[in-house]
Amino acid sequence: MNSVDTVVYLISSLIAISAFYIQGQEFIVSMIRGQSVQSVLIAVVAFIIGWQERSYDFFILGALIIVLRAFLVNYFLQKRIPKEKVYLYERKVSLSYLFLLDLIFIVISVFIIYSIAFSGIVLHSFLGNSGNSAVLVFPLTLFFQGLFLIASRRTTFTQIIGYVEEENSLVLFAMFLLPIPIIIEASVFLDVLALVVISSIVVLEKFTHEPVEELRG
Amino acid sequence: MILGQLLAVLIILIPGAAGILYRTGIKQASIIGGSVDLAIAGIMYFIRPQVGFFFIQNSTMVFIVMVLAVYLLSTVYSTRYLKGVEVMGISEPTYYLLLNLFTVSMLFSLEVNNYGLMWVGIEATTISSALLLITEKTETSLEATWRYIVIVSAGVTFAFISIILIYYILGTLSVSAAIASHVHSRIMVLAVSLALIGFGTKVGVFPVHTWLPDAHSEAPSPVSAMFSGVLLPTALYVLYRVYEIEPVRDLYVWFAVLSIVAASIFLGYQVRYKRMFAYSTMENMNLALLGIAAGGPLGITGALLLLLSHSFGKAGAFYSSGNVLRFTGKKKIAEISGMGTSMPYTSASLLMSSLAVTGAPPFGTFFGEFLILADILSLHMYAQFIIVIISLAAAFISMNYNVTGMIFSGNQPNVERDRLMPALSVLSAILPLFIGIFYLVVYIEIL
Amino acid sequence: MDMITLAETLTQYFFVVLSAPLYAGILAKLKGMVESRQGPSIFQPYYDLWKLFRKVTIIPAGSGVFFKYIPYVIFGIYSLIALIIPVLVPVPIYFTASGDFLSGAILFSLAAFLKTAAAMNSGSNYVALGVSRSMSFNFLSEGTLITVFIAVSLLTATNNPYTTNAFLVSHSLENLSLAHIFSTLAFFMLFFYETGKIPLESPGVQELGMIDEGLNYEYSGKLLAINRWSSYIKQYLLGSVLLNVFLLPWGLFSSSPYFLLDIPVMIAKWVLLILIVLVVETTLAKLRLFRVLDYLATAFTFSILFLIFAEVIP
Repeated sequence: MNSVDTVVYLISSLIAISAFYIQGQEFIVSMIRGQSVQSVLIAVVAFIIGWQERSYDFFILGALIIVLRAFLVNYFLQKRIPKEKVYLYERKVSLSYLFLLDLIFIVISVFIIYSIAFSGIVLHSFLGNSGNSAVLVFPLTLFFQGLFLIASRRTTFTQIIGYVEEENSLVLFAMFLLPIPIIIEASVFLDVLALVVISSIVVLEKFTHEPVEELRG
Repeated sequence: MILGQLLAVLIILIPGAAGILYRTGIKQASIIGGSVDLAIAGIMYFIRPQVGFFFIQNSTMVFIVMVLAVYLLSTVYSTRYLKGVEVMGISEPTYYLLLNLFTVSMLFSLEVNNYGLMWVGIEATTISSALLLITEKTETSLEATWRYIVIVSAGVTFAFISIILIYYILGTLSVSAAIASHVHSRIMVLAVSLALIGFGTKVGVFPVHTWLPDAHSEAPSPVSAMFSGVLLPTALYVLYRVYEIEPVRDLYVWFAVLSIVAASIFLGYQVRYKRMFAYSTMENMNLALLGIAAGGPLGITGALLLLLSHSFGKAGAFYSSGNVLRFTGKKKIAEISGMGTSMPYTSASLLMSSLAVTGAPPFGTFFGEFLILADILSLHMYAQFIIVIISLAAAFISMNYNVTGMIFSGNQPNVERDRLMPALSVLSAILPLFIGIFYLVVYIEIL
Repeated sequence: MDMITLAETLTQYFFVVLSAPLYAGILAKLKGMVESRQGPSIFQPYYDLWKLFRKVTIIPAGSGVFFKYIPYVIFGIYSLIALIIPVLVPVPIYFTASGDFLSGAILFSLAAFLKTAAAMNSGSNYVALGVSRSMSFNFLSEGTLITVFIAVSLLTATNNPYTTNAFLVSHSLENLSLAHIFSTLAFFMLFFYETGKIPLESPGVQELGMIDEGLNYEYSGKLLAINRWSSYIKQYLLGSVLLNVFLLPWGLFSSSPYFLLDIPVMIAKWVLLILIVLVVETTLAKLRLFRVLDYLATAFTFSILFLIFAEVIP
């Protein structure tokens, strides 16, 4: 294990922690900021890989992440937070219970999936030097964490952030595995941004989501 | 050949170009654009673009024609339907603009020769169609919109993992190259299986179908028709393209069978007619998935035939539901009776389309289902065959029982005020019949 | 050789048992200074213990044998732990072979369990309340303690804390490995809970904030003194494991005459830990009681998650 590897692992684990931080928040503003920080961390990983691999694509990717995810998504979401006090945070979140459930979910989904399917993958980048693909655990964790965030919470904002988290994990996944052509990655970014904008329109109308009688079965 | 490229680009651009007349006459522009586009698609059948940025095969043409035809029908139908909406969530020009963009993104994902861009196109269909669901703005439709956005977009991200893996294995995202390459590996199996969850969310595969009935029942009828008739087949087409790389047959077949069973069970206890049709869509999509998964020439042909006639049949069913809703204002099956006298044309189209989508013999869907099941039998999948047959029968009985109950019970005064809307629904409902008869004629001619 | 080991053993044992109350005194003194008070003398815990030893012990009417004798057993358990983990001398001593890291963790759990059982045996309603409160948190803290000890042993693939300590001293980069960093974090969070520090528990007279102290409600005189002393030893043990295995594995001497130097080194390390604790205690406000569960759940999540990361990542 060399020192750059260690740094990448550390930043990746910070990304995983940021996901847990978002899961543990009640206030919407701090969740949105948590997402921004997460995107910046992903951009930092992109810069490190780009510097190690001497590839400019990663720098463009990192810049795109910072501009589109860290700033624009943050901006559009923060603008939509209703001013009334009742909407500033989500009620009835029992964090310890959710954390434990989350833990079980993550452990089962990520590690079983990883050990069945991904452990045989060989990475092309310098991260694969040691002959294993363990770093892929982090994007997988982030992915399922995003999925769990969507499933466990009831407000529109939280679910949007869960979705953005999932998309973040895909960027990270592609970076570690083999970077998708930048043009496609960019259109994915724009797609996600558009989806965030569209769904933030729904926020204005409907803040929380509970089961509805007419939509059952 | 450059002409072919030009045609392919035009087909994508024309519906979007109608948006230029956003302020003055987007309604008329969309109708004209749709008709022109259909004509161009007819030309493109003979002059194909070369394989490069676009990848258009005969099967793709079926999908393109399907999308354009249903789009045209829906646009015309919307001109009348929107007049009766009480609280509009979006303005009328915006509605048409989004409808056009929705069509553009579907055409884009059908034509491009790149898995990444296909994914982008599928995601764009979610973006452009999400706000269409709140055309008739109620608390319920907002909730349905939100479920549609969240479930579909969260599910489709799974598919992107599979696309990353495909790129990792093949080093290319080009569809034509991927299909031609015969790389078999464990990771490819994983990629194709993940695509089933990912794109399967949009197709309506069982555990991840939950957005489908909500969105279909709360959308305005022309949009429901497009969802059911063409959006789901588009997603299925993309799934088919991924499946072609590495057929993971058993997994796909079992998921399709499971979904058919689930759909026919859910269909049985629905109290709202649009929701009932939504589950019927799920059933038909999974039948087509079954055909694709079976993979023989019979199965593929059957799936195409099924999708084509289902798209018109289901459009007819949703237009008829739209008529019923517009003329009576009732959403539940039990509240409606005596349609035979109160809405003669609508009841004719409703009966025909409901027979069409459940696969009654002279309709195209019947032949599609027949071919698919024949292919399943040729693969010696007897258990699957029996399960599917039973589920199909159950769905057929429960749906037609409900529909006939709505039509042949009691007498009501005539309330059918409009002429165009029933006419369109009858037209859409008859088309599967023509497709069926046409297929039969061609089949006999060939034999 | 044997004589040296014996000397090391005796030094370690008596150092642990005798110096344990000192750190609580230092913390109280420093805290007083930060709050612009003069603060109690750093030997105040010793005076308190001495005072309590001389007082009359009152045994509640409804109590049983557990109540009377368990404090001695707990003291014995902590004494045993003091002999099997590297809290002063970084080489094995007598009794080290009697248990490994995991057994240390389980002995901690045993002591906690016995303490609750003894408290329940007092037959008082207030104590029952305190027990139910501490039990509703302990299920997470015990789990974290065990997982953390397992996680750190994964580094060297052995459960021997001495090996781990030596390994970390010789391989400095391993201190940055994920499993190590996050088990450190989790253990640090746990240390605050187990020793009743401020974001979780404010020890003192107000019963709203007490978790562990609630178990001592019915104790008085000599038994209370022994219970207090056990708590001090427990704090020293956990803190020293945190220092020697997780935070600062360096700086301990093992060759024969120099092991006595470990005493000032350990005290210096402890002063550092006390400073960290001081910063936390004086800057953070106490959490609401129900948030304690969230805090422990976070620590538990960290420990489990990175236990598994450690399993996956070489």
